[in-house]
Amino acid sequence: MNGPLALTGKEKGALILAALNREACALGLSIGMKLADARAREPELAAIPHDPEADRQWLERLTRHCERYTPLVAAEPPQSLILDMTGCLHLHASEKGLAQRIEDDLDALGFSCNWAFARTTDAALALARYGLKEGAEAQLPVAALGMDARIVQALERAGLYRIGDLSSRPRGPLAARFGAEMVLKLERLLGEEDRPVNPARRQSMIIAERRFAEPLGHLDSVEQILAELFAEASLQLEERHQGARHIAMRLFRCDGHIARLAIETGAPTRDEGLFARLLAERLDSLHDPLDPGFGYDLVRLAIIHAEPLKMRQVTDDGAQEKHTEEAALLSQISIRLGRERIRRFTSADSHIPEHALTSLPALEPPLPFSWEKPPAGEPPGRPLLLFDPPQPISVMAEVPDGPPRRFLWKKQMHLVTRAEGPERIASEWWRRRKGYLPGKGGLTRDYYRIEDSDGRRYWLFRHGLYGSEKERPDWYVHGRFA
Amino acid sequence: MACWSIEHKVNKLDSNLSQEQLDISALRRLLPGDRLPADTACFSLGEATIDKSLGGGLPIGGLHEILAAEPGDYGIAALFSLLLAQRSARAGRPFFWIGEDRGSAKYGHLYPPGLADMGIDLGRILYASARDPLQALHVAADALRSAAMGAIILSLSGKKPKGLDMTASRRLSLFARESGVPIFMLRDQLSTLAGTAWSRWQVISAPSHPLEADAPGSPVFDVELIRHRGGKEGLSALLEWDREKARFAAHHRPVSAVPTHREDVGGADYREQRKRA
Repeated sequence: MNGPLALTGKEKGALILAALNREACALGLSIGMKLADARAREPELAAIPHDPEADRQWLERLTRHCERYTPLVAAEPPQSLILDMTGCLHLHASEKGLAQRIEDDLDALGFSCNWAFARTTDAALALARYGLKEGAEAQLPVAALGMDARIVQALERAGLYRIGDLSSRPRGPLAARFGAEMVLKLERLLGEEDRPVNPARRQSMIIAERRFAEPLGHLDSVEQILAELFAEASLQLEERHQGARHIAMRLFRCDGHIARLAIETGAPTRDEGLFARLLAERLDSLHDPLDPGFGYDLVRLAIIHAEPLKMRQVTDDGAQEKHTEEAALLSQISIRLGRERIRRFTSADSHIPEHALTSLPALEPPLPFSWEKPPAGEPPGRPLLLFDPPQPISVMAEVPDGPPRRFLWKKQMHLVTRAEGPERIASEWWRRRKGYLPGKGGLTRDYYRIEDSDGRRYWLFRHGLYGSEKERPDWYVHGRFA
Repeated sequence: MACWSIEHKVNKLDSNLSQEQLDISALRRLLPGDRLPADTACFSLGEATIDKSLGGGLPIGGLHEILAAEPGDYGIAALFSLLLAQRSARAGRPFFWIGEDRGSAKYGHLYPPGLADMGIDLGRILYASARDPLQALHVAADALRSAAMGAIILSLSGKKPKGLDMTASRRLSLFARESGVPIFMLRDQLSTLAGTAWSRWQVISAPSHPLEADAPGSPVFDVELIRHRGGKEGLSALLEWDREKARFAAHHRPVSAVPTHREDVGGADYREQRKRA
């Protein structure tokens, strides 16, 4: 975005500037200024609400990005990253070359950065924040200590403006006057004391594998090996208090062919019995059965996705039991039919009848929803079974905009004995391009609940208002009441 | 083995009874599986007369077949099975609808607002769609064996669904008895296939009691028990669903409201009407 831009945050009910781009800084605006004041000076200033959560997420992504330079990367919110290069520098030409590379990489991602090398993390952080380089610690302002404003003010009142002013003084009196914490931070800044980096390490994927000198030729033994591998993996899962949700398996045949199997479970699990059952189900329902050929020489099992699972607990009530039973059954059926084929209903926000039919795979966590119950004594207003898409019928009515008298559906004539309607359902014209213009908003539907002479009830509709929307509206049967 | 034991008992019976007394119902009483042990858990329909005739209800751990008299009655048969499933399912457990692609293409998909309108708890329904009847039967057997579901509805369409034979039916009956989970097999047409179902119901959609301005009313089930292991065949009733009390109730045909010129088509005998058509 070109031009001055500010992100605004709220403080004491007023909008203040939380971040500025270069153009805005160049105009003399500063962080902490009220948005109203800033606008008075610069009416062109664009302002967007500040989203600290998005910042945090970006920082996390950058942390992961920087793992290519060193395995020890820590995020230092709100806007810093610490890279511990100990033992990694020999991989790069020089410190300077490395810093240049990181800067270029970040630039490619659209970020500009300040960087500094130092012996300790706090020193590096402070130097980078104030745009200085290694060895310039003495020039840092006392605010770089990161103490609260009161202490910074006290230091400045005492005539101590820079870190250099502090470093030469005896530590005892400083600690007595400004607190031991200040002295600790000073020592960290000066490189006399270090704090450990707490790197953001992702937990590695759990992988269990087994190699065979003599290839496995039998599926039974493959099944058994996989069960053993899962038992190994579940020990690691237990340490992490997790259970597997998605397990991927690869069978490497000695002629180079790789067979891939996956199991998705309805709830996190470490249950070996369940795994064996699901695996048997998986192998049983493969379209293309496994062919061991010359045998498998490597079998690998990986936990792709795991979720927290507490230690197994013995409870008296059957609630827990019931839940796990259901999850196990859902996993088993999902493997047989496919994940998308076993579902539960969810509500949808639409008044168009066919859009109100929504559902989620049963393996996904259910969403809470509520349905209105019709008033007591009322017959059902909606059909039990819905045709999607609606099926065309030809209708004879007494008057073109009245209820149908008889209709022909699938070569069968139905005589209408009772009818109620119309229930008029307008199209969702606001979802259409230029839907607000007459004739562009889509056709209105007039729904009738009817009963035929056989005692069967249907839901019919006329597509389009007679005369105003359509000359000869089509009719459809949309559903079947019980 | 079973044959032998029946024969054996018949021989024993022969010595006590004259040939005339040895009718089929006496034989049936001898069969061990046909009488309910006293402690069998049953579910009732909620309508006093029919429950009494059934001797308390239908066993929960059993296979029950719900047949639509004609494909056009599939809707009412589906509703009947859903409501029976809801009545029989253990509290808090879901009920599981297993359909197949061909059936839902022909008869439509379950429509949540319509289910809610009948008082069916949508949060408790799980539904699966199988590619063919064979797969549907397999899934039903899996679901029956685990006690996770409260009730199962298996909808199969066609005259003779693939895989549905005596063995499959016996398997389902057996699993249902073991796990105590009821299974309702919903069929879109009458069938003469042999089966081991505890009960077989024929369901017809009967004309509703018209509301104001001749609007169609609540569904009316014309049900008939066409096979029952306890020998209660021939039981028939006109039922309605009482949504507020979640039970079936007898439907009383109004004693002629204002006679209309349409009475001959929509009124008294819709069965005759169908036959003529």
